[in-house]
Amino acid sequence: MTIGAIRRNAPLWISIGAGVALWEIAGRLTSAAFMVPFSETLVRLWQLITRGEFLVQLFDSAELFLTGFVLALIVGAPLGMLLARVRLLRIGIEPYIMTLYATPMVALIPFILSLMGFGFAPKVLVVFLFAVFPVLYNTVEGARSIKPEMIEVAKSYRSTEWSLWREVMLPYTLPYMMTGVRQAIGRALVGMIAAEFFLSSTGLGQLIMGASQDFDTAGVFASILVIGLIGVGLTRLGLMIEQHFAHWRQ
Amino acid sequence: MTETSIGASSAVVAAPPATSRPAAFSGSFVPRLLTGLVILLSWEIVVRAVAPPYVAKPSTVVLAIPRVMTDPEFLRALGATLAAVTEGLAITIVAGTAIGLLMGRSAIVDRMIRVYINGFNALPMIIVLPLFSLWFGYSGAARIGTIIFAAIFAITMNVADGARSVPREFLEVARSFRSGRWRMLTDIVLPASMPYLLAGFRLAAGRALIGAVVAEFFLSIGGLGYYILYNSRAYHHNEAFVGVLLLAAFGVSFELLVNWCTRHFMPWYRRGA
Repeated sequence: MTIGAIRRNAPLWISIGAGVALWEIAGRLTSAAFMVPFSETLVRLWQLITRGEFLVQLFDSAELFLTGFVLALIVGAPLGMLLARVRLLRIGIEPYIMTLYATPMVALIPFILSLMGFGFAPKVLVVFLFAVFPVLYNTVEGARSIKPEMIEVAKSYRSTEWSLWREVMLPYTLPYMMTGVRQAIGRALVGMIAAEFFLSSTGLGQLIMGASQDFDTAGVFASILVIGLIGVGLTRLGLMIEQHFAHWRQ
Repeated sequence: MTETSIGASSAVVAAPPATSRPAAFSGSFVPRLLTGLVILLSWEIVVRAVAPPYVAKPSTVVLAIPRVMTDPEFLRALGATLAAVTEGLAITIVAGTAIGLLMGRSAIVDRMIRVYINGFNALPMIIVLPLFSLWFGYSGAARIGTIIFAAIFAITMNVADGARSVPREFLEVARSFRSGRWRMLTDIVLPASMPYLLAGFRLAAGRALIGAVVAEFFLSIGGLGYYILYNSRAYHHNEAFVGVLLLAAFGVSFELLVNWCTRHFMPWYRRGA
């Protein structure tokens, strides 16, 4: 690391250091049931990791997250592109996508529970439902940004349907789609935890719920810390993906 | 940063079909209506064909609407949730705006807390429920806490972006007329950040609603979320689904309200122009 990089990042590290110190002090001053110091949280986290159950739960959650998220992409992206191409279909479906995008999907969890029970599939469905509408909504929004003249010009040069999709549709909708992907990452994470809380209890959701039921405050803080770091990492990733394609936007 | 620009730009992009209402009605009303009918019809047919009779389908949900809407228990649940969301959002707007303005106008504050605001914002909000249930017990306080936690960072981040993007000339003019810091904040920075505040509010309102529902699931305290949970467990899916419809209506009306407010109260606001 160069001196310049250190100096640039100094406020960040000072701020993180101050936060950790504050956490430590607050944890020591309050009762252990309310809050535990940072050091104890780390000790507890280390215990969880070395006992092995933590990694198993992490793996469980990752499997759920990835399955639901990938399914949402596989369905959302092509469907969004199709809506981009077929104008009438888009006009027809758009308000419903917008409605579902704004609907709190958590409200559907009790129905999914009573219809599909406690398996893996209903949980994937929850993650999928959380993630698919941001992708669809934003892709359709991108589709609106394509000027009809573009497609007309392509058509008049006898562009094939395939090259029309590849050369016109994809570059225009992709930046918007990636905004959807970024939003979907965050939502899928919420969906994952919600599924693990309210459907069969597994993964990181179970870890934190179990800790809370045992009044193991250190365990709760350790799980929140880990999930927070995962959240920050995934959000970063989403932003990077979005920004990578952002300059395509016109 | 990106959050706002995306949120705000989508508000602008989303506006045209609503503004050009006559055209929207003549051109797109029929396909929209048809699509809606097709969706409802296929839902009805599929459920009738394969699902057990208690599963919600359009015909029975419609029949349940008047029954549910006059049910005092439902109205109490609705009132409880709305009161909690309103209270939580009120606290969120005041606190979130204050923190956001501080962050936007003070580089030191910004550097100190930005990493935490970003971090908390990236946290799946419902993760705090087990902690809040330890702290506040299984009570309304835990629900309010969840609502605030779910909503506040969206407001703070957006207001901070707004306060940062106030045109420098505005502040220079104010300063040369010897305006005080406080007046500059309330008379220039705050109004200039309003579109951002509204974009943040749109996000925050949706999240607050989700926070309230999830808190009621988790804590089993009375409200719309608990009403949905209870009735779906009792195989009263139609009644429960009316609750979902209402939630969807709230979600959409928040969206429309913010779009409308931006157009009518802030016609001067043109993003990217």
